[in-house]
Amino acid sequence: MSDLSSTMAASASGMAAQAARLRLVSENIANADTPGFQRKTVAFEAVHAMFDNAGSVRTGRVELSDAELPEVFDPGHPLADENGYYQGSNVELMVEIADAREAQRSYEANLKMFDQSRQMNASILELLRR
Amino acid sequence: MIQNMTIFQMASGLASHATDRQALTAQNIANADTPGYKARDIVPFEQSYEASGSIAMQGTRAGHFGVARGGVGGEVFTVSPFGIESPNGNSVSLEAEMIRSAEIRQQHDLAVGIYQKSLTILRTSMGRK
Repeated sequence: MSDLSSTMAASASGMAAQAARLRLVSENIANADTPGFQRKTVAFEAVHAMFDNAGSVRTGRVELSDAELPEVFDPGHPLADENGYYQGSNVELMVEIADAREAQRSYEANLKMFDQSRQMNASILELLRR
Repeated sequence: MIQNMTIFQMASGLASHATDRQALTAQNIANADTPGYKARDIVPFEQSYEASGSIAMQGTRAGHFGVARGGVGGEVFTVSPFGIESPNGNSVSLEAEMIRSAEIRQQHDLAVGIYQKSLTILRTSMGRK
């Protein structure tokens, strides 16, 4: 029986996943200038049909981006090698902003579905209140 | 007694069809960014009603009423992508899902409205208000 509360649970799982993604985006942006920082990403996976909460989404393992770290020339930097270079972070602000926008858009869509399920539930309960 | 009247059967069948469809739409939206996920939907209410072929309401599947159903009722199928698929193989389009959810809302409101009106008529016929 697919009732509206499990529908709301699916929407809530979507919101939780997008929130986790948004948190990683903000961590990445906060560390955009940290030497040697590797961008963090998380993959989403659908919950398999054998579980109770089938059809909802969950986040997988957090992974580090293996993109090459840029060499930054700054001889005065404490971490600089003998040639005056140190490794920066591979965070690209533009990519992070785009990711954050997508997460926000999906979060709002989930919220909308949650609200609609709630209202449908309320209209059914309204039948009892007469 | 109420279940035996066609209008109530039809209205509650429509409402539960809308609920099942809402469940799938919510799952589609929750998985809007999941790699490889394909958007799903169930057959329209008219189709399953036509398929029942009689005045007796069949709901989204034979034996729908009075039987506890596992998962989502009705025939589930993968919808063809609205526009193009994402590079990661995901075919969910938030816009298409929004349209679908508006339809579901309408369908559900209609079902509840009919149910409520029919109850009022029944009450009136019994001389109560």
